[in-house]
Amino acid sequence: MGRHESIKLKDSTKIKDALDQAREAAQELHGRISDAAAKRGGAAKADLESISQKAKATVESVKASMGAQHEATKKHLTDAVTNLEAAHKHAAEGLKSSGQAFETKIRQTLADARAGVDEISEAIAAKRSAQSKKK
Amino acid sequence: MRNYIAVVFDNSSKAYEALHALWQLDHEDEITVHGTAVVHRDNLGQFQVDTKETHPALATAVGVGIGALLGALAGPAGAAIGAGGGAAAGAAAGGVSGLVADAARSDARHQAGAETGFVLGDGQSALIADVSEDWTTPIDDKMRSLGGTVYRRARSAVEGDVWYDEGYYPYGYYLYPYEYVPPYARYYDY
Repeated sequence: MGRHESIKLKDSTKIKDALDQAREAAQELHGRISDAAAKRGGAAKADLESISQKAKATVESVKASMGAQHEATKKHLTDAVTNLEAAHKHAAEGLKSSGQAFETKIRQTLADARAGVDEISEAIAAKRSAQSKKK
Repeated sequence: MRNYIAVVFDNSSKAYEALHALWQLDHEDEITVHGTAVVHRDNLGQFQVDTKETHPALATAVGVGIGALLGALAGPAGAAIGAGGGAAAGAAAGGVSGLVADAARSDARHQAGAETGFVLGDGQSALIADVSEDWTTPIDDKMRSLGGTVYRRARSAVEGDVWYDEGYYPYGYYLYPYEYVPPYARYYDY
């Protein structure tokens, strides 16, 4: 992420599970894309290369977190994977485009990543809600 | 339950303290935060949303989205014009490009200012957030301890508004899905 000082990482005392890690990966992906959107020309394209790879890695992270989750949580994570795969696809297409088409791809990538983060957060909310009802 | 909240403070430093506190509640598993932003209204009634420097089109989109959300939080009268007026509210964010977009829509800015005034008064700052919460106590207690006033509206109610446009992304998508504090935040206070 280009401006690390602007995003505060969570305090590290909590043990993060796979779902937390997937969410952090997706949040970082969104941050990188929004930073890239502020750049122009070659600099933005260079960022998009790493964004495409990061999107792919985030998809794997979400898939790895799906193991022992409830059905409601899994549904959100499945939707997150769909959104993040779309982010990967649009970032890859952006690498082959230029001008207005390139800007459109960045915006699509950002929107896909945002939707992906939201689905992971929904999955976490569903999990926390289920756990609080058990207490 | 998924809710949109606006927590109003008399200065921006408290709003940023609240931003951190809200994400801390998420970290403690008390709530789940889907997105946040800090907005200000200066003593002339002009809005500013703290965002990253970004492409002008994105700055305007953020303005429309957050402006619509502010309108929705203000209730029926505010929401009716929120999306249009919000273009100015948020386009003032961060960069020079945003200010250009803002200047082009000064008429809408005036309208938004009038309609959302009871949520955010002149000289005040607000934390805007999209959250999932099983009960409202954690946020209410924490924000009250910081001196904030909490306004809350269910996301389902906002989406049920007759003027809600499904062509938009959900309003909350324009909020940052992590704790974002602009580098310049410590340099000003309203």
